[in-house]
Amino acid sequence: MKHKIILTTLFLALIMSAIFLFSQQEVVLTIREGVPAISLALPPFIYDSSSPQAKQAAETIYQVLSADLRYSRVFQLVPREHMNYIRPLNPKEIFFKDWESIQTRILLVGEISQSQDKVIFEVKVYDVKSERMILGKRYQVEPDLFRLVAHRIADEMMKLYGEKPFFTSKIVFVSNRDGNDELYMMDYDGANQTRLTFNKWRDYMPAWSPDQRAIVFTSYRAGNPDLYLLYPYEGKLVPVSTGGTNFAGAFSPDGKKLAFCSTKDGNAEIYVANADGTNVRRITFNSAIDTAPSWSPTGREIAFTSDRTGTPQIYIMDAEGGNVRKVSFGGDYLDSPAWSPDGERIAFVSRVNNFFDLYILNLKTNQITKLTETNARNESPSWSPDGRHLIFSSNMSGTIQIYSIDYDGTNLRCLTSQGENKLPNWTN
Amino acid sequence: MKKLLIFSLAILLVLSFSASCKKKVKEVPPPPAPQAQEQPKVEKVEEPVVKEPVLTEEEIFQKKTLEEINQEKPLAMIFFDYDKYNIREDAVPVLEANAQWLKKHPTVKILIEGHCDERGTEEYNLALGEKRAKSTMDYLISLGIPAERMRIISYGKSQPLDPGHNESAWAKNRRAQFLIIEK
Repeated sequence: MKHKIILTTLFLALIMSAIFLFSQQEVVLTIREGVPAISLALPPFIYDSSSPQAKQAAETIYQVLSADLRYSRVFQLVPREHMNYIRPLNPKEIFFKDWESIQTRILLVGEISQSQDKVIFEVKVYDVKSERMILGKRYQVEPDLFRLVAHRIADEMMKLYGEKPFFTSKIVFVSNRDGNDELYMMDYDGANQTRLTFNKWRDYMPAWSPDQRAIVFTSYRAGNPDLYLLYPYEGKLVPVSTGGTNFAGAFSPDGKKLAFCSTKDGNAEIYVANADGTNVRRITFNSAIDTAPSWSPTGREIAFTSDRTGTPQIYIMDAEGGNVRKVSFGGDYLDSPAWSPDGERIAFVSRVNNFFDLYILNLKTNQITKLTETNARNESPSWSPDGRHLIFSSNMSGTIQIYSIDYDGTNLRCLTSQGENKLPNWTN
Repeated sequence: MKKLLIFSLAILLVLSFSASCKKKVKEVPPPPAPQAQEQPKVEKVEEPVVKEPVLTEEEIFQKKTLEEINQEKPLAMIFFDYDKYNIREDAVPVLEANAQWLKKHPTVKILIEGHCDERGTEEYNLALGEKRAKSTMDYLISLGIPAERMRIISYGKSQPLDPGHNESAWAKNRRAQFLIIEK
């Protein structure tokens, strides 16, 4: 399967490079990985109609779960009207052939009941062809956690198919909605926006640790842009560096190291430290600006921005600083590299005629794909944990907001609206 | 002389007489009219007014708060070209004037802030803002201002002077500005 995908991609890339040769202009194409999504039927949940709470749970969980599955690109929902052609769902006796007849591979049955003041949600997932239950879960849910339980099930579905679950993960970002730049976090779909820092100074450029327990960020709270580690679930804040401007912190994929940019030796250089900020080592030595480190998923390499040739370009080096090579070509202003979780692609920002757009560099084919086309400033890309989506900030609506887009340029959606919101980070 | 002697003797006689037969004499001659006395001069009670001495420029300066000094903007900002951090020719006289002012106030310490326009990415702009602040500091060092009197900070594109989205706004936003932090 995977080979097939790679082959298809390669074939597409070949055609596209041929087009590129003849067009001599900037490449504008979209990656189509052509993965046939798994057809999943999500019939309306069955609930105890005498309980208004069960009804509310059924509606909310259903709506959130179907949005999750649609967003996943792993599953494809069987249209509701197709279900009109078959016998109504009876959870006690499922007619699998019916479901097969409307091209269903996976059937997800949800039942909601209420016992005393508690809502019980039961999920059964069936493989239609083999007529077997492949997942069964029972949740007891408080009313304010209906969304979370839907995300949990979506994560279970991802795991079931060997995909990286991310529906319960959080996006950290910067918002000025309360007067000045502070850190916030939210669900992947923009729900549950929560403030994390409370002060009158600028808090800036946050990045998650891989387990999403810690956030490295830059703050001007001590009068100088320094790095801090915030542990939002422990209410703990630890300063990391002093002296110079310190920013663009990024945890390594194993969470053990921290790469960041600092000017403490007089010029913007990249440093690597232990995750707690100890044992700082400088890894770039150059009079140019070196910034924006992004780890490869193996942790062996780091992509970064440098203007050593006169304009900012994207480079890759070993995590110890050796073996530096330029990987960008074309364009005179490229920055903010973000290495994809599959290791094969680097998303970055390129400025052309004062517009900033997101591009994806495929490291295997050296092909560059333009992802956004909005005549705006699209900045700060960050991948979803499964590498099928990117979040970024853009002023395409007039104010700066956070958006999500799929790897192939489809499914653009805005996640924020209050104040201005920028510098989103989902994964490093 | 004789007359005076006789006269005074006579007075003495009369006086002694009058004294010896005081109890007998009922009528006492009226006392001599008091002599018209000269009035005392009115003395004005006053303390010497404490007059503030004329302050030197330096003393005036020391009296002001940092906030007041910064409001007067004694150090003019300088501007940079797009994507550049070198000191422009038009910035040279500004920095020379700034250096002169700093020499006149040798205790002053300053913070040099580097700023960028919105047409750069967050990370690169933060580094570029720092370069702008640094080259400004280096130029002031070359004009004889000791490095210990200066600190630099970069704000990237986060604090535009002009919120506009056109060339004139961008040109104003690509700047190094000065904040007096100690005097």
